[in-house]
Amino acid sequence: MSASWVDAVIAAGAVPAAYVPEASAGRADLEEFTGADPVEDPELRVHPLGEVPPLAPGAALFLDGIERWRVVGYGGVTPIIRAHVAAAVRRRGQDRRPRTVREAARELAVTRLDALAPPVHDALLAAGVAVVEFAADDAGQPARALQAARREVERARLALEQALAEQCAAALGADEWLVVDGVLSDSAVLSEHPRTLGVIKSHGAQFFEGLELERALTLPAGHRTSVFRPRRRGARRDIHSWYVRLWPWEGNDLLYGLLRVEARADPATVAQASRLSAWLERERAPVSTPDPRWDRLLYPIHDVETYLRARAPRDLIPYSASRLPRIAS
Amino acid sequence: MIVGRVVATELKPATPHQFHFWTANETSIGIGAIVKVEGSGVGDQVSGRVVYGVVTDAFAYSDLATPLHDVVGAEGDPERAAAAPTVRQEIRLWTAAVLRQIPEEPLQPVPLAQVHVATDADVAQALRMDGYLAGAHPTGIPVGLYTSGGLEAPVYLDADFLLGPEAAHLNISGVSGLATKTSAVEVLLASIFQHFPTHKGRVAAVCFNVKGPDLCFLDQAGTLDDADRRRYERLGLAPQPFERVRYFAPFKADGVNLNTLRTHGDLVGDVEPLVWGLRDVLDYAEVLLNRDDIDAKADAFIDFLSDRVVGKEFDDGFGGSHAVTTFADLDRLFRAIFDGLELAGRSDMWRTHHIATMRKVRNRLGNISTRCKGLVTDDGPSNDLPWGRFEDRTVYVVDVANVDPLGQDLVFARVVSKLREHLERRDLGVEAVVVFVDELNKYAPADGPDTYVKKMLLDISERGRYLGLVLFGAEQFRSQVHRRVVGNAGTIVFGRMDADELATPGYQVLSPATKIKLATLPIGELMVRHPHFTQPIFVRFPRPAVLRGRDGVERFPPAADLPFEDAVVRQLVRLEPRTRPNQVKDLIADRVPEDVRRALARTRQVRPADPFAYFRKLLGTRVAPTEAAMREAVPPLNPIADEPY
Repeated sequence: MSASWVDAVIAAGAVPAAYVPEASAGRADLEEFTGADPVEDPELRVHPLGEVPPLAPGAALFLDGIERWRVVGYGGVTPIIRAHVAAAVRRRGQDRRPRTVREAARELAVTRLDALAPPVHDALLAAGVAVVEFAADDAGQPARALQAARREVERARLALEQALAEQCAAALGADEWLVVDGVLSDSAVLSEHPRTLGVIKSHGAQFFEGLELERALTLPAGHRTSVFRPRRRGARRDIHSWYVRLWPWEGNDLLYGLLRVEARADPATVAQASRLSAWLERERAPVSTPDPRWDRLLYPIHDVETYLRARAPRDLIPYSASRLPRIAS
Repeated sequence: MIVGRVVATELKPATPHQFHFWTANETSIGIGAIVKVEGSGVGDQVSGRVVYGVVTDAFAYSDLATPLHDVVGAEGDPERAAAAPTVRQEIRLWTAAVLRQIPEEPLQPVPLAQVHVATDADVAQALRMDGYLAGAHPTGIPVGLYTSGGLEAPVYLDADFLLGPEAAHLNISGVSGLATKTSAVEVLLASIFQHFPTHKGRVAAVCFNVKGPDLCFLDQAGTLDDADRRRYERLGLAPQPFERVRYFAPFKADGVNLNTLRTHGDLVGDVEPLVWGLRDVLDYAEVLLNRDDIDAKADAFIDFLSDRVVGKEFDDGFGGSHAVTTFADLDRLFRAIFDGLELAGRSDMWRTHHIATMRKVRNRLGNISTRCKGLVTDDGPSNDLPWGRFEDRTVYVVDVANVDPLGQDLVFARVVSKLREHLERRDLGVEAVVVFVDELNKYAPADGPDTYVKKMLLDISERGRYLGLVLFGAEQFRSQVHRRVVGNAGTIVFGRMDADELATPGYQVLSPATKIKLATLPIGELMVRHPHFTQPIFVRFPRPAVLRGRDGVERFPPAADLPFEDAVVRQLVRLEPRTRPNQVKDLIADRVPEDVRRALARTRQVRPADPFAYFRKLLGTRVAPTEAAMREAVPPLNPIADEPY
């Protein structure tokens, strides 16, 4: 399908465009205070990982997803967006080489159908591409429309990731762990699975205040915090969480090398928290440079992302000449 | 089998002559491997185009941004780096040079398509061998096996381009001992003899054995293992020694023991002496003269001797008549002239030749029989290669390994010149002759003065292909051989090379990886360039089916030199096995050795029904020397009467 539906809507009267807005920075974490309940210790404490033997599962599976999107046309002032979302799971066995075991991808057209001229509208529907509409309120001003489209694309990616993760969790072997880039608490299956970890790199959500917040954000390298239970918010499920510092933050910033980990809300999680943390600390090598988030981006997750990027449609990558006037058009 | 995929970037684009492809980390592909680029037909930019290439370079790298990041990840501890839970993504990226594109026109960049391992048929296509392996008159000569990824595909040379007339000559270079130059030539000669197309006529080989026992056992079977036999079978060659080999070697200074390492009692009977007389040598006197000696005057006098004197009845101008056929005759003539000039006291000139020139030529020619004693006979009949009677598929080995370098030059120059003469007249007995010369850098060096031998080699290199005179030259360093000699070789073979040699300009066309492969090439593997191959190809060849020189001297240790009488007996017994040794010894007991040598040489030449009787008759009649002319006292030209002492 790829570009064929784009040709169809252009032929139907949409004005061609080639604009890649600043891509989503990835999954957005909550940006508000939610609070947390102590689980392991009465108050948030710091636990060293120095002598803790890392968990060494027989195999680890890593899941990540990507999204790519681009304005390919305008019906009036309403953008028509071509989006590609994909997710993959790569399994790392005893040979230490990740190999893809599951993957899924979707192509979407994101727009507001009733804002399009009838021929364009009809052409889009007839093209067979999955159409996702943003809200009618967002259809007027293009800047708002693009923000809305971005959210829709992100939502589609999260859904794809979640579906793939749940399939994978259902098939996990007894000696296999699934590590997901992001939160587990969006999924009932994942948040209740005994061998699933969520690794969160962004720290918009605030769970502590005062001394506990300072303790969490100034965690020394090679340490973890006590396990805590983020308070429920919306549909989010009961989960256990803790912070791990991979690299010393001093000389950088407070969030440098800081991961938040999510795992099943279960006493076993508390018992394993140090070993799980030590495992994640081992994943510091190899470093996932040149990605700017390398201080907290685990290499196997980076590897999944690289894999997905390599397989994404090449015409969705921004290119420098795209903003030059099209002389022939 | 799909092994990779062509990739092209702006920095490393695919071109009509080169492309890049990646493979899995574990792959059978290596430097020198032949691959085929062909699309699946779905989504590939192929349009039916098939491209064959040979791998010339290889790269491996990971997604590591800088080495420092690996240090950071391992916290400076290499052991920790090795224990990282995930292995970094790596790539095996290969560069291949295009061997052939089908269709050949229009010539286009290599398509970004799948890369396959070449099959036997692909190898034939890639090397354009299909053009000369099929048809009414196939001209393929197996040279070795292309081996890669478990494949053993025969590689053929085109006889029209190896032995003429389209191109000719082969040059092989490589370090001593490891490059297996001699072995490669032995296998190739066997291959030529077994596969030389019948429509091209008859072929023979003349091999100069210039060192040790290298070529002394070509008729003896060597040891082969199963792998060698399998390779012979794949090449379509019978693993057997040469059926017809004739050995020639000069005598040692004693004139009766052969100067060769093939003197074991079981084998020495096959070795024929190589003995030349004045007539045989005079035309090549230029070879023997010091380079400083060669001037127009000396040259003119030698020509005079050759045209007017040797082999004719000649009046010396002082009343003497000379029939000059031997060095001894010639020396008598010189003495007569000098004496005549002195007695006459008339001038320093004799028939427009200055006496100094004559003395110089006399001196140099006189030295020939001294320096090349055993090869050049002072006096007596010669014994030579069977000019005009060369036989099909026969190797003629001329063993000059222990001969003085001057003598080697003489042998080389004369044999090759005679081959050329006969091939020009089409009366050699065969239509093509391969001349194998080792240590080519000695005979045709890149620098130094132009010698007769060098000029002759240049002539063969440039004109030999029209005559069927084909030079197979070998040397350690190709850069030290005259450019035109190696440049005219249609087929060039490289064994293991020295790194210093590979740094010379002649190897600039090779990629660094190919150079490394050449520098580490295992025994039995060679790199071949041939006019049909657009890129050099690595081939493996089996061990020769003949006995190696070193093994030969162990199995057939050279016999010790026999005393004069025994050596004479042995030669007569060889002619007639019923000859009684004691009878011979009694006969020669009181004879002058020179007389015996002459009689023996004559007997060997005539090959009478009863050699002993003939030999006895010759001795009885005192075949050889004419008494040396009595030298008359010569008064001084300017007597000093007052000299008190």
